[in-house]
Amino acid sequence: MSDNQDFSVVGKSLPRSDARIKAVGAAQYADDIFLPGMLYGKLLRSPVAHARIKSIDTSAAEALPGVKCVITGADIPKIKYGNWRLVPESQDEYALAIDKVRFIGDEVAAVAALDKDTAEEAVRLIKVEYEELPGAFSVDEALAENAPVIHDEYQQQTPNISLDRKISYGDLDRAFAEADLILDDVFTVHATSHAYMEPCSCVAEYDHDGRLTIWTSTQAPYFVQCLLALTLEMRENDIRVIKPYVGGGFGGKMEMRPWEFCAAFIARKLGRPVKFTLTREEELATGRRRHPMKIHSKVAFRKDGMILGKEFIVHLDGGAYNSMGPTACFLCGNFGAMLYNYPNYRYYGAHVYTNKPPAGAMRGFGAPQALFVAETQMNMAAEKLGLDPIDIRLMNAMETGDEIPGVATISSCGFKESLLKVAEMTDWRERRKNLKPGQGIGIGCYSFISGGVFNWFNTRYNFTRAEVRAFDDGTVHLMTMASDIGQGCDTVLRQILAEELGLKISDIRLTAADTAVTPQADLGTWGSRVTLMAGNAVRKAAQEIKEQLYKMVSLKFDLNVIHDMRCKDGKIFPANRPDRNISFGEAVRMAQRANRGEPIIGYGSYTPRNKGLVTPAFSFGAQVAECEVDRETGAIEVKYMTTAHDCGTPINPMAVEGQLEGSVHMGLGYALCEQFIMKEGKTLNTTFLDYKLACAEDMPPGVSVHIDTYEPDGPFGAKEAGEGLVSPTAPAIADAVYHATGYRCMDLPITPLKLLKGMKKI
Amino acid sequence: MTLPQFKFLAPTNLDEACALLKKHQGKIKVKAGGTDMIVRLSHRAVKPDYLMTLKKIPGLNEISWDDQGGLVIGALALLREVEVSPIILEHAPMLARAAHATATVQIRNMGTVMGNICNASPSADNIPTLVAMEASIVAFSERGQREISLDDFFLGPGRTALAADELAIAIKVPAPAPKTGVSYQKVSQRSKVDIAAVNIGALVTLDGAGNCARVRISMGAVGPTPLRARQAEEFLAGKPASAANLAEAGRLAAADASPISDVRASKEYRKLMVEVLSQRALAEASGFAAGN
Amino acid sequence: MKKELITLNINGDDIEVAVHPWRTLNEVLRDELHLTGTKLGCGTGDCGACTVLLDGRSVSSCLTLAVEAEGHEITTIEGLSPEADHGDLEHSPLHPIQESFIQKGAIQCGFCTPGMIMSAKFLLDHTPQPTEAEIRAGLSGNLCRCTGYNKIVDAIADAADKLAKGE
Ligand SMILES: Cc1cc2nc3c(=O)[nH]c(=O)nc-3n(C[C@H](O)[C@H](O)[C@H](O)COP(=O)(O)OP(=O)(O)OC[C@H]3O[C@@H](n4cnc5c(N)ncnc54)[C@H](O)[C@@H]3O)c2cc1C
Ligand code: FES
Ligand code: FES
Repeated sequence: MSDNQDFSVVGKSLPRSDARIKAVGAAQYADDIFLPGMLYGKLLRSPVAHARIKSIDTSAAEALPGVKCVITGADIPKIKYGNWRLVPESQDEYALAIDKVRFIGDEVAAVAALDKDTAEEAVRLIKVEYEELPGAFSVDEALAENAPVIHDEYQQQTPNISLDRKISYGDLDRAFAEADLILDDVFTVHATSHAYMEPCSCVAEYDHDGRLTIWTSTQAPYFVQCLLALTLEMRENDIRVIKPYVGGGFGGKMEMRPWEFCAAFIARKLGRPVKFTLTREEELATGRRRHPMKIHSKVAFRKDGMILGKEFIVHLDGGAYNSMGPTACFLCGNFGAMLYNYPNYRYYGAHVYTNKPPAGAMRGFGAPQALFVAETQMNMAAEKLGLDPIDIRLMNAMETGDEIPGVATISSCGFKESLLKVAEMTDWRERRKNLKPGQGIGIGCYSFISGGVFNWFNTRYNFTRAEVRAFDDGTVHLMTMASDIGQGCDTVLRQILAEELGLKISDIRLTAADTAVTPQADLGTWGSRVTLMAGNAVRKAAQEIKEQLYKMVSLKFDLNVIHDMRCKDGKIFPANRPDRNISFGEAVRMAQRANRGEPIIGYGSYTPRNKGLVTPAFSFGAQVAECEVDRETGAIEVKYMTTAHDCGTPINPMAVEGQLEGSVHMGLGYALCEQFIMKEGKTLNTTFLDYKLACAEDMPPGVSVHIDTYEPDGPFGAKEAGEGLVSPTAPAIADAVYHATGYRCMDLPITPLKLLKGMKKI
Repeated sequence: MTLPQFKFLAPTNLDEACALLKKHQGKIKVKAGGTDMIVRLSHRAVKPDYLMTLKKIPGLNEISWDDQGGLVIGALALLREVEVSPIILEHAPMLARAAHATATVQIRNMGTVMGNICNASPSADNIPTLVAMEASIVAFSERGQREISLDDFFLGPGRTALAADELAIAIKVPAPAPKTGVSYQKVSQRSKVDIAAVNIGALVTLDGAGNCARVRISMGAVGPTPLRARQAEEFLAGKPASAANLAEAGRLAAADASPISDVRASKEYRKLMVEVLSQRALAEASGFAAGN
Repeated sequence: MKKELITLNINGDDIEVAVHPWRTLNEVLRDELHLTGTKLGCGTGDCGACTVLLDGRSVSSCLTLAVEAEGHEITTIEGLSPEADHGDLEHSPLHPIQESFIQKGAIQCGFCTPGMIMSAKFLLDHTPQPTEAEIRAGLSGNLCRCTGYNKIVDAIADAADKLAKGE
């Protein structure tokens, strides 16, 4: 560790600062907001997967008493939007369909009425005439000759490939020529739902001063602000986006969404507040999801286990629009080359349009797919070469200082330590050999980014910024646009600030994620960027405060310029003379006086620069799953999970554990029980009765240890902990199932049927 | 989604309830716990003009036992009450197991066993055991009371032998013969808390020699209604419950099943599970029988 | 259709409210009375976010008709620790289950929390010293996407201990 001081607040498992308000049910989420005169909105969605809209008749809906407004694509500005502003032609969505619908669920019209019943009834009364077109429902169908072209207004080199990406380094052909073992496999991975417990909701209000305010369940208030401005043809400064409490996001709430647009549009049109809240059916039937992919992976090994090279060809089934697909396409290529040193590597990734609900960003962002494949192949290679799966990993594992050519340098890495640790904790070598029939133990590993470097949103601001105001009562006010969606950044940023300023958590007021008052700008909560990026910005802002206050201590005690200063326990003092201290509040008072009443404010920004193309810092870890299989029913019970992970300094270990355990839940669901059942673009399982999340009884207990590393680019040495951990679980479980049964899964999820077929029982 | 509009009726005795059923025939639906009915309403799978609750009718939630008459479970007895009832745990513990295997804590606190039966879903958790135990439904109408054997009760998914003006008021389960054991087995593909992909209820009565005197096997989720595994039942009659015989019975049960593929499981998986679960159910039931 | 005037006993208060018969208890609590601690996560009985106690029994308010809740005691998350509503909001004691959820890290986004806590209350009222398996089974009707449940299980075990010690 550097930062050679004992932490007072950082590194402590403090309860989250919003736990109490949530425990008593007082935390307000978007749907909990009721404004005077508020109308209820409802969307009409396309029942067909691919069609031209011939006509829309809204007259019956408009005539229904209580209906205040009905809008369709014909009423709104014809402006396409999307998160990838850097590549304008990737912006491919209208807030309401114009001319064409491309998936079942595509938003066609919106209604606002006095109450929910009326809004729902009105939606049923809208008549739309569709001219149905043939659809493409898989990558293969979309790339077939004569496939229907889903976005015919763009010139695409290959129809339905919206964009692609290539990475290449080294001499791959030679690697394959020299290899002792080549694995050449095609995997498919499936779509899953974010399944955040809070359905999307927003309330918009337009005031007589021409300002639009929207409270919305979002991970990225700034994106919403910018894209609302674009699509409503308003000025960004006239739009205020406020993030209330958010009931989870996991990537599914990081774009501007049609209901936000419609709420805003109608609120502006009528001068009345409008609320839209989705139903769970809408969420499951039409919501964003994890990208299904078809992955062709060819890996060359030397017989001692050394990796010589890899070719990774990925087709992302993107659904009807780009959404965050370009990022997934981009990152998948990077994750395909992570964790191990692949001296020769070639990646081709293509984002393919299909007539299905668009896939978007989801926790892990390409990593769970790429690493399911990569980790499974490591286990396959170990077996073929007669090596232990941990040994083959140790031989190839990345280390601090390693470089991914042209992409990134690993500035801290606890991967090997993680591998050794899980081996020790699980008694791996013994247990891998001696388990009862039906029992299995397996391994999967991960690496992830701590925020992205690539500026696809094309922001004109710094990536994140913090403002800290100090008060002479010894408190401070932190303002940040970082968005707590449940992961706990409000708490973590307070901890970072408290540590830096020597204050208590309770001395810190926080205002977050309100575009009108919190500093421009922050890109939001995704890509595991917040702790590192916003944390760094908060630290810098605190340092500006400290500089102003240190002067007061020097003045008061007439100190020599060389003195090093400290803030601790609410006091400020020279490091070697703690007795010469003044309280934080007193220092603020003095500084303010000395400055003729100027408030004491510190600002800090962070934008990764000179950090390669991907991220400032990578997390690493290894996970071992133990499972038991009923060899007659194919039922798989995960018994225990052991994890060792390197997230740099854990600012709040309890919060990190919480992220880990939640990731295991999502990873286990990905491996075993969550999937969309689709037929011709229609999602058939649209309730939680049939889209199965693991419940408390399905979840295994587990243990995790943190590998001590220090990330030089992170605040107090911290890096990401929120997303990477979702990746190792599926390959670890799949490996344990293989170990128990001899069935190797190459097409997620592992269902009892596939397992029994693999075991030749069916 | 909000519920469709309906008029709400809450009769306070059976005669009144049946009169309402008759009066509004075709336009009225009944609810007990409502855990099926409210969901169906919200999906607009049904759109009745009237919704009638049975909850205000007193005396319908009894659970009682008598050595001759056996067990009576009233129409409003909650799944939760059946799950924890000392009477049931003593005399028909498999009914408690089946009730416990149904849905979640909250749903069991609202839903009734009778609702589970009258909803007539092929995968219902409480039906196979009751069929195996030869239960019958007491139906009530202006015309009087009658008993319908569960064997004859189910006509198709969501369809029962109740007439439009009839209410089911109680479940009767005869006292089992000596040396009788019962088992309930369930498998679902995805979670421990899930609708059954397949479920099996089995009853075995042994004779003095330890052979199977009587066997009843009911299979859920493998046909439009719960199905009896007649071939397996007949095969086992008079034979010992040996592993080989149970395996054969399992195969015969699978042959009698006619499952479909749906979002919860495929046809082929269901077939195989009938084989596995009926063996398990028979093994457990005959084990209990030997001990009784 | 005309609304019916009913009296709901919520957290000890009798509250008159005019409702249509097709209104669920969840809609009345949230949309009419603005008791928004009770959440709506699915509306089909699957997630448990809407859990309230009806005469001490945990039920899904999204599947309960408001008219049928009349005559029963309804307890929502807002009624679990009434002391917390006045005085020192930041420190006044909460119900031990709430305290344990806070201390043990059982809350992340918090959307499942009110329902989880009501389910925990029902569990501990009937099974004061539950095993881990009983706790997990007691949560069968409550989904959580954030925590993976383990910290919730810990919190409920912790609350059971506290309650046993009379804290
Ligand atoms: C989230 C969830 C999970 C579920 N999981 C399961 C599960 O795992 N296994 C399972 O088997 N079921 C499950 N169910 C279905 C349901 O809970 C059960 O079928 C329950 O037992 C129904 O009882 P009820 O009293 O709520 O029925 P209601 O909804 O009130 O009624 C069901 C049907 O029976 C009729 N009916 C009820 N009582 C009578 C009567 N006395 N006379 C005539 N007709 C009557 C009604 O008209 C209606 O058609 C689940 C439901 C939900 C919402
Ligand atoms: S909202 Fe009632 S159970 Fe989900
Ligand atoms: S804490 Fe977010 S759903 Fe449970």
